[in-house]
Amino acid sequence: MRIRNDILIVGAGLAGMRAAIAAAETSRQLSIAVLAKTYPIRCHSVCAEGGTAAVLREGDSFDLHAWDTIKGSDFLADQDAVEFFVKEMPKEILRLDNWGCPWSRTEDGKIAQRAFGGHSFDRTVFAADRTGFHEVHTLYERMVSYPNITRFDEYFMTSLVIENGEVKGLTAIDLRNGELVLFEAKAIIMATGGAGRLYGFTTYSHQVTGDGLAVAYRAGVPLKDMEFFQFHPTGLIPSGILMTEACRGEGGYLKNRDGERFMQKYAPEKMELAPRDLVSRSMWTEIIEGRGLESPYGPYIALDLTHLGEERINERLPLIRDAAIKFAGVDPVEEPIPVRPVAHYTMGGIHANIDCETPVKGLYAAGEAACISIHGANRLGSNSTAECLVFGRVAGEKAAEYALRKSYYPSVKAFDEEEKRIASLFREKGDESAYQIKTELNETMDKNLWIFRDESGLMEAVRKIRELKERYDNISVEDKSKTFNTDLTFAIEVGYMLDLAEVVALGALKRKESRGAHYRTDYPRRDDDNWLKHTLAYYTEDGPKFDYLPVTITKWQPVERKY
Amino acid sequence: MSWLKWFEFRGRSVFHLSYSFHRLTGLVLVLYLIMHLSYLTSLTFGREVYEAFIAATVTPTFLIFDILLVLVGVYHGVNGLRLILHEFGLAYDARRPILYLSYLITLIVWLYASYKLYVFVVGV
Amino acid sequence: MEEKVKNIIFRIKRFDGEKSYWSDFVVPAQKGMTVLEGLFYIKATYDGSLSFRASCRMGICGSCAVKINYKPKLACETQILHLNSSKIKIEPLDNFKVLKDLITEFEGFFAKHETVRPYLIRRDDNYAEPVELIQKPKELHAYYDFTLCIKCGACVSVCPAASTREDYLGPAAMVAAYRFNADSRDEGKDFRLAAICSDGGVWRCHFAAECSEVCPKNIEPAKAIQKLRFQSAIYAIKKALKGW
Repeated sequence: MRIRNDILIVGAGLAGMRAAIAAAETSRQLSIAVLAKTYPIRCHSVCAEGGTAAVLREGDSFDLHAWDTIKGSDFLADQDAVEFFVKEMPKEILRLDNWGCPWSRTEDGKIAQRAFGGHSFDRTVFAADRTGFHEVHTLYERMVSYPNITRFDEYFMTSLVIENGEVKGLTAIDLRNGELVLFEAKAIIMATGGAGRLYGFTTYSHQVTGDGLAVAYRAGVPLKDMEFFQFHPTGLIPSGILMTEACRGEGGYLKNRDGERFMQKYAPEKMELAPRDLVSRSMWTEIIEGRGLESPYGPYIALDLTHLGEERINERLPLIRDAAIKFAGVDPVEEPIPVRPVAHYTMGGIHANIDCETPVKGLYAAGEAACISIHGANRLGSNSTAECLVFGRVAGEKAAEYALRKSYYPSVKAFDEEEKRIASLFREKGDESAYQIKTELNETMDKNLWIFRDESGLMEAVRKIRELKERYDNISVEDKSKTFNTDLTFAIEVGYMLDLAEVVALGALKRKESRGAHYRTDYPRRDDDNWLKHTLAYYTEDGPKFDYLPVTITKWQPVERKY
Repeated sequence: MSWLKWFEFRGRSVFHLSYSFHRLTGLVLVLYLIMHLSYLTSLTFGREVYEAFIAATVTPTFLIFDILLVLVGVYHGVNGLRLILHEFGLAYDARRPILYLSYLITLIVWLYASYKLYVFVVGV
Repeated sequence: MEEKVKNIIFRIKRFDGEKSYWSDFVVPAQKGMTVLEGLFYIKATYDGSLSFRASCRMGICGSCAVKINYKPKLACETQILHLNSSKIKIEPLDNFKVLKDLITEFEGFFAKHETVRPYLIRRDDNYAEPVELIQKPKELHAYYDFTLCIKCGACVSVCPAASTREDYLGPAAMVAAYRFNADSRDEGKDFRLAAICSDGGVWRCHFAAECSEVCPKNIEPAKAIQKLRFQSAIYAIKKALKGW
């Protein structure tokens, strides 16, 4: 079956839905399709907690927000894009307000803002500590009001069709009946999110397996800066559930086994509100030097909110309290929460420019799936939901303009190659289990591509990933049914993750410096002379081929990064 | 049989049970109404026919059915008043104590009515 | 700290598209392990064909609502050992058509939600130049709790009105309608009430209030619906008088 639209958006999270709305606002004549492997409100964006940064009030400035972001990125962010980004943010906040988002308010009814790591001004707009949840529902509710947006819920993307440098369409499995459907569109926006489930200890939802990244990569689109994975300081143990940065923004402390606020040693000025890479490294150092607290789930650091008082916690951090009680048996009002640094965000992604265009005509990327780059080597908290809104809008508008200009619909001849490829996963004999392979992949990523990396660990990771890729050719999907074959989709997801892991590991091995979230104990300094550039990875049969791209610098020259 | 799902008891709270009984008693009362009206058509056949019916049914044997019927009617009425209260948007937060209170009132009214019926049919 | 592991039997209702049947699996459960983790364990260890919806594992996406020992719960928020039972029965939600194993149809659920126009309606809707709207904290609290609905379907699964009639809007859709009617920034109350004040709308609710008992986020749908009922009554009376 073939389905044709003007614009096809893959991924129905913050960026995807914002793009759909922007495209629909650009023209009511365009047919816009939103395709995702789950219903929109089940996306991973609902897990975002802390807030969305924007310059709204007196005393703050665009230059300051841009500087905070660029310094936070360890100077790998492209400064022209960051300058554009900070200027567009305030309107996005107000739009969400107009669309019904229940922003938390000050006493006089204005939109409230809180402090967040790495920001020099309290500019993080929030809705209790469920900001992502509220933003997603607001965007979803607004999206259903447009008659020209059609949804394809629970469709699992399997490949992108690119011919002659132009995107033609994509193939996806209709999960309800197992049928492979070909979608043709003038413009396609990839908004499929990050790839956090590469790791075992992660804040990510189960569904975040980097599908869009892998599919684009396999189709020849370069991935950028994949070695930069953010480790959020406060992940609940053992589940990895996120304890928002707002805990520290509202005044929470991080304490080691001696009860000391150890951030004094590492970031005397910002303390717990230093950027995430710094805090995570500090916490991890405390742990490996034996100053972590003990638990049956391993060592941890105490996130102490007890001095904030029950009222403030119920008002500003209700989700945190509920989650800590439900998933760790700890009430933050009474005791400190046990946390450890956790894999949280993919700074890297599909290479896109300030207009969200990828090197392939008609193909756009937005949100966490894209790497423009706004966040460089380390993302500041409350900047990701912001990026999704601004660049979701940009991608939607640019794709709409492109589709309006384009006079013809691309046509794909046949896709039975793709059908055969998927069918081959059902081979009769297979002694490997996709579940086992994923477990081993997670183990090696957690060990060798974590906060502190070194040559031997990275080489071991590359070796292991290659071994897993070979073993992957021997898996067999047990479930042969057509309806909701989650066994099949899991197996395909593992394949995606293996491809991406290879890019991450090799990129990290090649980058012989430490910058932002990528820290190597054998190359602990930042090397601007050789490494002030983005990593580009291209797919080849024998593994990724690497190239490099310079960083765009406008106003701010790199300086030493101290907090 | 999904059409009987409203009668589900497993895993349901006392509120759902009250609903199920309200519907059940409502059905019983409708059936009784039909029976009762047909019973009363005996009047069109003359005084003797009607009095014969009365003599046959207002007896100790039928008493048990009458007492059960009163329970059905009182429950439906008292629970109905509870529903009217809440459906005006009133006293939602007190719904649990009000529910138990309505059961208590039902019980008391039913016991009293049954006693009166018993005395009437059987004598003291 | 002791690491006690108890072997719990998961009795799961399966459906392969044609017939339903039961499967039993032994799950080694310890303190803190959730039912969802048990389901993933079964899928990875015993039977890859076991199908269920799951995503966030932290009770915010609403994917994993299933019946656990006859009560609808979020599998990710339910700890196996807290159920105090050596055998756990897991079935898909009632009142929804089963597609496969624990996965049910949700198209109708979302379609009903869309019917009540669940978005802020304002005359001055200006996409290009939005303006900050003022809302005092008290006004926010008036509707905030109702914004927390994760659309898990638990309320609909226990609603006897929903089992009686397919076209009943259901608690979730009506909570969404009330959430906007009570939002001080909204100006579209009458548009929504037109959909609510209908045959399959608020009048089908007869206060079984089971929805409020099972809602995993304690939103109290029954409360929203009764308030909505009052608004609908006023709306219906006004409409009737105008027509007269």
